[in-house]
Amino acid sequence: MEVNKIAIRTWSMLGQRGTFGTVLASLAENRPEVVALSADLCQTSGLGRFASLYPDRFFNTGIAEQNMIGVAAGLAESGFVPFATTFANFAALRSCEMMRHFLGYMQSNVKVVGLSAGYGMEFFGNTHYGIEDLAALRAIPGLVILSPADGVETYKCVEAAISINSPVYLRLTGVMNNPLVYKEDYEFSVGKAVELKSGDDVAIIATGSMVEKSLKAAQLLADRGVECTVLNMHTIAPLDINKVTDCFSKKLIVSVEEHSCVGGLGGAIAEFMSSQKNAPKLLRLGVPQGYMKAGSYNYMLEQAGLTAPQIADVIEKEYKESKG
Amino acid sequence: MNNVEKYTQVFVESFQVTNEEAVGLSYQSIGEWDSVGHMQLVAALEEAFDIMMDTEDIIDLSSFEKGQEILQKYDVEFR
Repeated sequence: MEVNKIAIRTWSMLGQRGTFGTVLASLAENRPEVVALSADLCQTSGLGRFASLYPDRFFNTGIAEQNMIGVAAGLAESGFVPFATTFANFAALRSCEMMRHFLGYMQSNVKVVGLSAGYGMEFFGNTHYGIEDLAALRAIPGLVILSPADGVETYKCVEAAISINSPVYLRLTGVMNNPLVYKEDYEFSVGKAVELKSGDDVAIIATGSMVEKSLKAAQLLADRGVECTVLNMHTIAPLDINKVTDCFSKKLIVSVEEHSCVGGLGGAIAEFMSSQKNAPKLLRLGVPQGYMKAGSYNYMLEQAGLTAPQIADVIEKEYKESKG
Repeated sequence: MNNVEKYTQVFVESFQVTNEEAVGLSYQSIGEWDSVGHMQLVAALEEAFDIMMDTEDIIDLSSFEKGQEILQKYDVEFR
């Protein structure tokens, strides 16, 4: 599969969810062991093309997410590479115990795809928002957690998930017309964060949809004289602690995620930094605790303080206070 | 290559059809022109004609002929 201008533009229009289904269908052509499962969300999962191309490799388990994880584990134990898909909150919360048993305890080679994590479910509201999935799943030992920044990285993550013999949770954020972070092919490696911008004052460590917002925030801050490094932490677990340690020379580290401020990327970084000497202050930006009134994607980001100008304003204030 | 040939070529390459089969195609009339294929077609047209299509035009692009009509809004001439 070639990463070219047309593919990148297509993936951007489709968003991460549509891109996932498209690239899985393409990559599955030469990987007969790849199968897909859906808890009654075939088209919504972006799996329409996969289901029509490989009808004998697509399984709709119905609205029974917990059972889907068990079926996927059984397929994995039989040598298949199953991608079990549902909305992020249903995958992580409703099926949490099954993920713990099959992906954690048994280390089954299952790839669970959390669709529309964060506020991607828009008007479906709080019952469908996936803002605590990382907090629930980070505690499961051996579970690789991937959170791509855009369509190109979604492709990279799906490709990596097929290749590694390990349980994976693939967290997909954003909606259609996903902004581009990568405009050409690049080297992706599980567990290795990517430095997208270099600056001496502040390190912004972002994941998923917040990578593009953080790059924009960094530009706004540069205009105000604050130079930021921006790291794309596409792998939440295992965390790239070497890259985090490299940020200790900055006056402030900021984590940015479309997830609760509790238990996500910021939590993972805080857990690591708490045992380190010479660690600077950590500012954790994400969804504030509590449930807000539902709305469109951009409206929800604004309510959570996760637009680029809002991120820049908070960082600037905190940075100036850190400097004294 | 004139614009008619270039336009037809995009359909030929996107959907693996012949020049003759491309003419008259409509959305979902063949398996390749599904929702994903539609986005690939739009991206390929944008690349071929160096344009950026509006969302309403992307939705409106329901057939080979309708696409020609839409592209004229972007100063692509087919005469």
